[in-house]
Amino acid sequence: MNVVAGRVLATLGTAATVFVLATFATFALGAASGSNPAAVALGEVATQADIDRLNHLFGLDRPFLVRYLDWLGSALTGDLGTSWFTTIPVSDSIAQAFPVSLSIATGATLCALLGGMGLGILAAVTRGGVVDRLVTVLSSIATTVPAFVVAIALILVFGYAIPLFPVAGYVPPERDIGAWLTCLVLPSVALSLDAGADIARQLRTSLVGALTENYVIGARVHGLGPARIVFRHALPNATAPALSALGVHVPRLVGGAVITEVIFGMPGLGRLANTSALQGDVPVVQGVLLVAILVVVLSGIVINLIIRRSSGTDRSAA
Amino acid sequence: MTRASHAPGGVWTVRLALVLVAIVAVLAVAGPALAPLDPLAQDTGHLLQGTTPAHLLGTDYLGRDVLSRLLAGAPASLLSALAAALIGLVVGAVPGALSAFLPRVGEWLALRVVDALLALPFILFAIVFAALLGNGLVQATTAIGLLIAPGFFRVSRAATLRVRDAQYVEAATLLGASAWWVLGRHVWRQVAPTLVVASINALGSALLAVASLTFLGIGVQPPAPTWGGMLASDLGYLAQRPEGPLAPALAIVFTVGALNLLADAVRDRVGAVTARPRAPRATTKGPRAPRATTKGPRAPRATTKGLSRV
Repeated sequence: MNVVAGRVLATLGTAATVFVLATFATFALGAASGSNPAAVALGEVATQADIDRLNHLFGLDRPFLVRYLDWLGSALTGDLGTSWFTTIPVSDSIAQAFPVSLSIATGATLCALLGGMGLGILAAVTRGGVVDRLVTVLSSIATTVPAFVVAIALILVFGYAIPLFPVAGYVPPERDIGAWLTCLVLPSVALSLDAGADIARQLRTSLVGALTENYVIGARVHGLGPARIVFRHALPNATAPALSALGVHVPRLVGGAVITEVIFGMPGLGRLANTSALQGDVPVVQGVLLVAILVVVLSGIVINLIIRRSSGTDRSAA
Repeated sequence: MTRASHAPGGVWTVRLALVLVAIVAVLAVAGPALAPLDPLAQDTGHLLQGTTPAHLLGTDYLGRDVLSRLLAGAPASLLSALAAALIGLVVGAVPGALSAFLPRVGEWLALRVVDALLALPFILFAIVFAALLGNGLVQATTAIGLLIAPGFFRVSRAATLRVRDAQYVEAATLLGASAWWVLGRHVWRQVAPTLVVASINALGSALLAVASLTFLGIGVQPPAPTWGGMLASDLGYLAQRPEGPLAPALAIVFTVGALNLLADAVRDRVGAVTARPRAPRATTKGPRAPRATTKGPRAPRATTKGLSRV
């Protein structure tokens, strides 16, 4: 029990350090941009007096480190400041956009896990066969084709050739859950291909390794069926590399969502960051990045703990 | 052994990849000179046309020749990808190799900084970086280079760690050699092949990142042609010209695909060299062998993964 608590604490400590460093980089970027509220809100007509007045109003005349600690402190209580451009609280804008991005990211993760796991298992079981080669070729193609090309191809196929799914727009689940699910299909698939291909490859490699282990031969000698051997014996020992592949892909899923959101016309965090960065609206940008980093760090913790658990049982069994 | 069998295709795919990369390299330098027409010349009489003798790849929504824009856009896309990969190599690989010789506290800190950089959502951060710092191609290139650097750090650190514990390195250290001297004399030769593979991979992912940014309209001003920007403008006219995105998309996909094939080929070629110190493990045929061979080649692959994709 103590060992587990120690591991959890170590994971949390690392995650906290990463979080502080990443948010510091984000904040420093905003500060280094030289953008100021007067220039954003008033444009060219801003006089030096306006700039000074608004800088004081937003607390920008204080030292950099003080501002960072203040920002991080109030961010922990849910206050991310207000937009320089619209003076809407940043947390409100984010609360509006977050469910959209979360839906796409969750959909993409599910697609990647289901597709990647399925194809990986299929390839490992039919090792050396036609299916195995097909999966290998498909996954190397999927890592080469960028998400936005996939997205455009999907729009062409499902928007013009076979109009099955909507190609643009977002319907919140509380309005129509069916429409919500169908509008998520194409963006999720487009975003998931890369991660899915990686998971399939990692799982194939580790499962092929696991299937040649002695305990699998032992299970076969005992007369267990092939399905039971693959799913109950080999698979639990082979998932760790696939899961860590997913962990590597989480930041890319969160970041790649920007392009998917723009192509499919969805009002998510990525689009918010994109437009506000082009406007020079620093607080919004910093807030969005903070949330994105938080998501990445939290999912990193979860994936780490799952991997530790599965490798822990592995060790105790051996 | 296992690496060679994992490589998709044989010698001819490597040749094809080399030819493609050579073509792309020529385009990166001489693309604008090869363009048959002015890439910016608008022709309102011939909007959104398909393939015609005058316009081999058709025209876009302003009647501009797609082939000319594709050729004229090559340097911006390819050279900034090259610059980004170089920035990543310099900023990432040298500290990565040095980190293997740091004291424990410094090592821990360096790894946390790299973890923090890896936790940044790549494209999102690149967009913000480029847009906030002036929205130019230089800023976009710098952002992509800095974000690629952690991948190089990991690859070069992993390769250095493999050499660090070799006896001749230990002997050099005991004789009073500094970390820099050991790096320049011994480590460099072992790490360089890995870095070449990582650089080719990084070039591909940098190209994808540049294309993504220009697709979003970041890093370039509108009339200037880029592959990503062409995709974005074609997206609005899918109904009139559904084959529109094909040309820039294929240009991107073939370039990245050729780079990936090349990286695989180089990895197979130099894999024999870097694996030599640990050769016994790969050739043993005991009951434990399957595990060792599946674990062995995967480790370097997994560490280069960070670079292989955006």
